[in-house]
Amino acid sequence: MNLKRLKFIDKPFIVTLLIILAFGIIIQSSASSGISSDSLYYVKKQLFMLAVGLIGVIIIIRYDFTEFKNFGILLYILSVVLLIAVLVFGTELRGTTGWISLGPLPAIQPAEFTKVMLILAFADFVNRRRGELDTLIKMLPCFLYMGLPFILIMMQPDLGTALVYIAITVIMMFAAGANIRVLLALVGGGIFLAGLILFLHFNLGIAIPLEDYQLKRLIVFLDPYNDGQGGRGAGWNTIQSLVAIGSGGFTGKGLHNGTQVQLNFLPEHHTDFIYAVIGEELGFIGAAFLIILYGILIMRSLYIASESREFFGTLVVIGVTAMWLFHIFENIGMSIGLMPITGIPLPFISYGGSSMITNLLAVALILNVNIRGKKIVF
Amino acid sequence: MQTSNLIVRKRIITLFLLFAVGFFGLGFRIFWVQFVRGTELSEKAMQNRMRDVPVESKRGIIFDRNGQELAISISSDSIYAIPAEVLASGQAEVIAQKLADVLDMDQAALLERISKQSSFEWVKRQVDPDKSAAIRDMDLPGIDMTEESRRYYPKGTLASHVLGIAGMDNTGLEGIDYYYNDLVGGTPGRIVIEHDAANRPIPEATHKYIAPVDGANLILTIDETIQYITERELDKVFTERQAKAAAAIVMDPATGEILALANRPTFDPNNFGDYPDKNRRNWCISDVYEPGSTMKITTAAMALEENIVDENTKFYCPGYIKVGKETIGCPDRKAHGDQTFAEIVENSCNVGFVQVGLELGLSRYFNYVEKFGFGKVTGIDLPGEAAGILVNKTNAKQIDLATMAMGQANAVTPLQLITAVAAVANNGMKMQPHLVKQVVNNEGEIIKENQPVMVQQVVSENTADRLCLILEGEVINGTGKNAYLEGYRCAGKTGTAQKISPTGGYMANEYVGSFVGFAPANDPRLVCLVAVDAPQGYPYYGGWVAAPAFREIMRDSLRYLEEPMSETKNSDNQSDVEKTEQVIAPDVVNLPLAEAISTVKDRGLEVKVSGTGNIVWQQTPVAGSKINKGSQVIIKMSPFDEENNTGEVTVPDLQGKSMKEVASILAELGLHLIPDGSGLAYEQLPEAGKVISAGSSLKVKFQPIGE
Repeated sequence: MNLKRLKFIDKPFIVTLLIILAFGIIIQSSASSGISSDSLYYVKKQLFMLAVGLIGVIIIIRYDFTEFKNFGILLYILSVVLLIAVLVFGTELRGTTGWISLGPLPAIQPAEFTKVMLILAFADFVNRRRGELDTLIKMLPCFLYMGLPFILIMMQPDLGTALVYIAITVIMMFAAGANIRVLLALVGGGIFLAGLILFLHFNLGIAIPLEDYQLKRLIVFLDPYNDGQGGRGAGWNTIQSLVAIGSGGFTGKGLHNGTQVQLNFLPEHHTDFIYAVIGEELGFIGAAFLIILYGILIMRSLYIASESREFFGTLVVIGVTAMWLFHIFENIGMSIGLMPITGIPLPFISYGGSSMITNLLAVALILNVNIRGKKIVF
Repeated sequence: MQTSNLIVRKRIITLFLLFAVGFFGLGFRIFWVQFVRGTELSEKAMQNRMRDVPVESKRGIIFDRNGQELAISISSDSIYAIPAEVLASGQAEVIAQKLADVLDMDQAALLERISKQSSFEWVKRQVDPDKSAAIRDMDLPGIDMTEESRRYYPKGTLASHVLGIAGMDNTGLEGIDYYYNDLVGGTPGRIVIEHDAANRPIPEATHKYIAPVDGANLILTIDETIQYITERELDKVFTERQAKAAAAIVMDPATGEILALANRPTFDPNNFGDYPDKNRRNWCISDVYEPGSTMKITTAAMALEENIVDENTKFYCPGYIKVGKETIGCPDRKAHGDQTFAEIVENSCNVGFVQVGLELGLSRYFNYVEKFGFGKVTGIDLPGEAAGILVNKTNAKQIDLATMAMGQANAVTPLQLITAVAAVANNGMKMQPHLVKQVVNNEGEIIKENQPVMVQQVVSENTADRLCLILEGEVINGTGKNAYLEGYRCAGKTGTAQKISPTGGYMANEYVGSFVGFAPANDPRLVCLVAVDAPQGYPYYGGWVAAPAFREIMRDSLRYLEEPMSETKNSDNQSDVEKTEQVIAPDVVNLPLAEAISTVKDRGLEVKVSGTGNIVWQQTPVAGSKINKGSQVIIKMSPFDEENNTGEVTVPDLQGKSMKEVASILAELGLHLIPDGSGLAYEQLPEAGKVISAGSSLKVKFQPIGE
């Protein structure tokens, strides 16, 4: 590897990322302090995963990203096998079979890693069809290609992650010049159809193959107190998260002092609802700061994408950006009552090894594109 | 490639703009949640986690007028469990067992309670100090205690109807403790416990203790000693006469202050549950009765005030009088014959009072009855006061007037009656009766003071003074002889009222015997009313049932108050008419020599001392006899010489003395009394004059005074 290329690295991107990572560790030290008897247990694990991920970044960055496009189909097959394996051998946690145990190693969530692999595979797939995605028929292979892993994830079932795949697919195709009308029609039609199904189910009793509690979680954010249990049922999470953020005020209650967090009113506060911890303990300043950081990260990613020498690189970066963006919007959105509760992590902040490593691998991809994709050469 | 590159660039810029809008949207929503809804949501966060456990405040002390404690608060520890902590310790069963052993409770029930899904559970409230100390020493996880106070009435039954009761939750339920609950109860504190989402108190979190504000102290008008004397005498008449109930009130006529108020049967407010509910009835203020002849005081006052009569107005009593179709008689239709107005009061002559009442007429009568305060509450600071029942003014007939004038038909409370009589004793000015003098807060500041309240001038001072003299005559010459107080001029009136039967009409054999009076008659210090409901045996007359109790209460109370003794004045109104050269021999028996000599000489009499000793034990002529001014009174000194320790004493002559007097004389001499019967002494063994050794016993037979 040519270390000279490192001088092309996008400094705003790297600095922003490092600040977000540090921010994540700091908030994690407060959010997870009450869960285990060792108040730093989760922080240590998170730091370990961070180190593993960073090593991964360094390894991947040594290889030219163009290598990956030759392994597209391979990565795709590996992903599908992993996703099938998790359905067969996986362990169930909170109603979702998303985890797979590998002997003494920590359990992993294949659906996290497959996000990155499938971004690469799909980038390759779309790259080959560049400029041809102008009709529904020509776009159909793309939908089928990503449809299989989507269905496998829905079978876990993990709606949140599955939706990430939709976001990745649609945004990557959009960037690749696909027909906007078809994309809009599909996305709009999908949302309409989902809404119609939910409406029919709850108002007319049409049976659908999903548990009621899962469905309730999807719509209860609109009116969390109307969950049939006065806010103590499906609406609880949304209410407690809103209370946490709302009671934080401008400067917050201070780290370790968030009553909603430390007293466990806020569920999943070190993973899914970590943004509410930020809102409560660090207030508007902390919450807005993180959004700005994410904004910079996303915008720099788009810049890197636009600067890529190869279209494959552009697609990979767009895919990663789409993934992050959806995670950010969905996670923060559910914390502030804008989005249904789907339980997907906040990138670089939420506790979770698979998520952290996946996101750092994604960083590696972006950096790879970044340092090698510069059109202006020496 | 270039064209599609352009498309890609355009699309990326579009994404850029879309994403930017998205981020602004998020930012705005956060702003909205934190600033617009911030206050509301902060409050919610607070409600989420705070639970209150109330901590009782300490009730104020209730003192008598001299600072004696009548009701106090004793603090004891209440033990509570925080089940979450108990469970977290993993030794719930051990804890339950240890607690059960110390507290003598059921272990299984206790285990269930301390391991409940709850934030806070009482284990046991108000535990004995040794037990709470034992538990504190064990230092059990999740078990803690807080100080709770409990009302304690150290004097037991004393003044129970005044003090009332306070419940387990430290609120006053009856009596003063109820009436003044807002002041004496204080403000409860709280233990605020922060809870987590699972309703578990946070172990390290502040169990914030908001201290209660202790209640203010009350200083009553009650005098513990007078209350004690009153209750002692009330007990005596209640048990001796096996009465259904008895009530007594002692009041200061000048201020309306109640010095004693008692009822029988009674109860111990510390264990009020052990007594039947009826024992808690405060007849003095809550129950009405037809007062009978004691009410004639008011009729007499009206007649004098309206100048219908004077002391010497002549009446004739043939033993009965016809009012319309009805006939009203004096007891047993006994004719009193020719009487003055003063004499009809002394004789409690029904016929005379019916005549007076009919002369007054209904409207004037009702006017005064209302002025005296009957038919409406006196406003005393106790809960549950009854207003009494008056004959309906608009329908009242002559027969009603006749019966009202002699004290039947209207139902009043003892408190109303004593308040009315106190008005007569207080120069005609009716005072508002009250029980609390001062309310003093914890800093010692007086936050409320009940000044005497003048309600109304009911009759003129002149009328009141004249009536006092007539009533004094009633005690000296009339039916109230048993109320006669040695050393004090006493005025009063007996009453023996028939009781209304629940089935209508009057009961044949049940009476309320009562006496109401005051002393000293010329400047009343105390007014006292004694009423005994359904005394058993004969005589049931107020003069025989209630008057002796009245006398004992008044004498002991006046002596306790160190009210100077006055010459016993024998009905001034009569002696005014008679020769002024005659005076009445004073009672000097049992007085020290020097005091005896000066008392006798003050009357313009000469003294001859015989015998040796310090105490007068006999006098000639006896007290109360009319003798010429300047005659000689021979006083014999007690042969018992305190310096002479031979241990021998001469037996005194006890003839005609009350049991109390006998007891005090014998105690002075170091002799024991073995009493037999009741009333006045008429026989004694050994006889007077014999010399016996100190410490021996004397048998004295008593018999009631014949009418």
